[in-house]
Amino acid sequence: MKHVGRSVPGRNNVISVAGAGTYVDDVRPAGRMIMAVLRSPHAHARIVRLDISAAAALPEVSLVLDGASLAADGIVVRPGGAFANFTVRQSDRVPLAVDVVRYVGEPVVAVVAVDLIAARAALELVDVEYAPLPVLADASAALTGQPLEQSWPDNVMVDYPFSKGDPDVVLAGSDRVRRGSLRCGRIAASPIEPRGIVASWDPYRETLTCWASTQSPHVLRTLLAATVGLSDSAVRVIQPQVGGAFGSKLPMFPEDVLATVASIRLGVPVAWTEQRNEYLTAAGHSRDVGCDYAVAFRPDGRITALTVDLVADLGAPTTVAGWAMCIVTAGCIPGAYQIDDVRVRMRGVVTNRGPWQAYRGFGKEVSCFVMERILDEVARATGVDRIEVRLRNFIPSSTFPYTQPCGWITDSGDYEGTLTEAAKLIDYADFERRRAEAREQGRTLGIGFAHELTPEGSSRPDSLMGGTDSATVRISPRGDVTVLTGVTSPGTGNETGIAQVVADALGCDLERVRVEQGDTASCPYGNGNYSSRSLTFGATSARLAADELRERIEAVAVSMLGTDAGRIRIEEGTVHGPHDATLTLDAVAAEIYRNPHGRHMTGLPPGLEATRSYRIPNVHHQPDVDGRYNQYPTWSFASAACVVEVDEETGVVRVEDFVLVHDSGEIVNPLLAEAQLHGAVLQGIGASLYEEISYDEDARPFAHTLREYTLPGARESLAPVIGHRSTPSPFTLDGRKGVGESGISAPAAAIASAIEDALREHDVRLSRAPFTPARVWAALNGGAA
Amino acid sequence: MSVPISTIVNGQSIDLAVDPRSTLVDLLREQLGLTGTHVGCRTASCGACTVVLDGNTVKSCCVLAAEADGRSVQTIEGHVDGERRARPGELDDVQEAFVQVQGMQCGFCTPGMVLSVRALLAANPDPTDQEAKAAIAGNLCRCTGYVNILRAIRRVADERAHAKESTDV
Repeated sequence: MKHVGRSVPGRNNVISVAGAGTYVDDVRPAGRMIMAVLRSPHAHARIVRLDISAAAALPEVSLVLDGASLAADGIVVRPGGAFANFTVRQSDRVPLAVDVVRYVGEPVVAVVAVDLIAARAALELVDVEYAPLPVLADASAALTGQPLEQSWPDNVMVDYPFSKGDPDVVLAGSDRVRRGSLRCGRIAASPIEPRGIVASWDPYRETLTCWASTQSPHVLRTLLAATVGLSDSAVRVIQPQVGGAFGSKLPMFPEDVLATVASIRLGVPVAWTEQRNEYLTAAGHSRDVGCDYAVAFRPDGRITALTVDLVADLGAPTTVAGWAMCIVTAGCIPGAYQIDDVRVRMRGVVTNRGPWQAYRGFGKEVSCFVMERILDEVARATGVDRIEVRLRNFIPSSTFPYTQPCGWITDSGDYEGTLTEAAKLIDYADFERRRAEAREQGRTLGIGFAHELTPEGSSRPDSLMGGTDSATVRISPRGDVTVLTGVTSPGTGNETGIAQVVADALGCDLERVRVEQGDTASCPYGNGNYSSRSLTFGATSARLAADELRERIEAVAVSMLGTDAGRIRIEEGTVHGPHDATLTLDAVAAEIYRNPHGRHMTGLPPGLEATRSYRIPNVHHQPDVDGRYNQYPTWSFASAACVVEVDEETGVVRVEDFVLVHDSGEIVNPLLAEAQLHGAVLQGIGASLYEEISYDEDARPFAHTLREYTLPGARESLAPVIGHRSTPSPFTLDGRKGVGESGISAPAAAIASAIEDALREHDVRLSRAPFTPARVWAALNGGAA
Repeated sequence: MSVPISTIVNGQSIDLAVDPRSTLVDLLREQLGLTGTHVGCRTASCGACTVVLDGNTVKSCCVLAAEADGRSVQTIEGHVDGERRARPGELDDVQEAFVQVQGMQCGFCTPGMVLSVRALLAANPDPTDQEAKAAIAGNLCRCTGYVNILRAIRRVADERAHAKESTDV
């Protein structure tokens, strides 16, 4: 029986449902002390005076750290790389503010005390005097204001332009042109488990052990060791169970360094657990991107030219890699659409808002919103149906691999397949009847569509997010299988999928395969969890290692059964030879270990352990003559259709039906893949209707708790109808593309499309997500939306 | 500074001293080591810290530890009958349904979610979809979109109804 393709429940379910999982805040080494962090209440200010003496004098307090003392010790975080092929301004950062604070929530002082109550009491005694400085409250202020970083000529951190053809000539010569502006609101990934770390320095062995709620233990180890001046081999990072991440727990955070420095100085374990208000202001945001576009098209809706000028508000400069999301936003335009004359420019600017950090979608959701809103505008201008206008502009399925205008190479696709199925599943053909019926009941319904493109397996040159990962497969003398992987699972279930892949590769029972992840001391080097890569990279590495062992097992089994190669098959742990002869895999494993010099092992390497690193194809890091490269090997995609009800009196929008037809190549575990999509769709709906990190004119955030930053609850949820299609990647070993990020991008554009459709008699435009009641009402009543 | 309290946790009587500033979740996690109750916000918004206090679900981050004096607390570590701790792997039908239909991903909200679902089904054995959603509206989950959690609720309600029918016959 093949295990791949089966809906096996996640392997951590029982431990989770029993409340028996160990999360980082449950790690309690003896002598553990608690760290708390004092944060800036100002968006931009000079630190005039900082006196930590009263806090340090408290008997429960062991250590108080400030920026000056860290700087004096050379504790400086260097940017994490990933800058190759781009002109990006970088800056080093001390993990606590030195002289100046640059956003509300920036760490200023760290206190270590016997418990959280004592640590917080100590923070109250820290005496800081600030002199406010002029604030860059948003991206437009940053483009004209004084540089935030003294060594920079302006506030532009990244400027990424590319073009193909000559869109200006086409636009000038076209009598059908539409121009507009679009904007995506700032959001926060908001896993229910906040960030956290326990750092434990062993002063005798001079080794550091960290338990961290991180996605990438090996990468955290390397970054942390470099920052505090240890060898990588002196540091062990353990990832306990992680309570959700969605990109937001990619290393490394200032607090990781602070807890580590504190533990080294004190010689005791130091734990830091983030509080929700710290998360919302300082753990990193995403989106907050605006653009101006111009699009030229023919009467049949075929787009002939497109220019998109984007500006991303990256918040305060940091050393985490969230800024790179703006690169991906630009690179994924025009995405699924074949447009010959295109110019795209992305300027990522720094401001006094909170910094960016990675979040599911990683910029692709903004490209999706931009492109789909533009396609709807073309449909409206030409009178061509919204499905039809997309079909006329899609990259034809016959033209893959397809080089995007930015140079990235889209592996494969069948966009018409998902979109037409989505229209079918939402019953588009019958919608006008449904609309009319609802109208008779006084309800206003609309239908909307969007298509998302989700390049995966991000492989950035010159970074620890490159296009490879590793796995070890170890079979014991009794035939038990252990898989050690460099990828991790912050709740996504890839451990279950990896076990399925390995069980198939070896021909053994699924229950015999144990998967170990998230410990740098035992797992081979890997980059962890991001970009939906755990099965494309992690499971493929494991399969390659398993294949190597399978070959050895087959050779020994053939010899033991006295038959010829090709005359055996292995199923569910049993080797079947000619004439009903059988042999268990356990017996073969025992033979390999017990008789390495025996006759069945002649010419074979001993043992049953293999480590393989899979380097994924379709990644090109040597730039071509135009300077273009490719960082995305596999391109998943999905089409969404939704029906919304709009309350015209209040502007309240309710999503009534949501269809998502996704194509992520081969699916290993449909139950877990669908579960991922359920969550992604609701996160996408949250960013469309409910969630926004807002700031006032002085860049002070409004949201400090989950009462202001409103995550969708069960009452806001709905069960999306999920459709599966599969266009395998021609490049990956098993045709997998990755599913983890699919489904989050399309909702904003599909819901906007549906709201406009509901209000079509009023000819409203929704250009700014989220579509809060106030914005929808304003659009209806002639205001700006 | 501490105050003495007497409380019952998962069927066991406990006398201990608590900091008057500390919360029930701190008592459970820090003093009793019952780390199945999680902390996600400390503002009663996320529900990860949901426990049962004298038969009612509460968010233990916003109940003082001292308020547990003279009362009975049940956590995810407790057996569903409230009389004792559950043995490792001993699950009730609600937990079993969460496992089978994949009603969780990261698991962080799950203990609180299970306690809210038990309370719902005890009060309302056949909840509508809207009633089920309202019952878990105070428990945020960022992974599942609630789809499989609601499926788990339906499954338990159906199974119990089926079992009752069989018994009645």
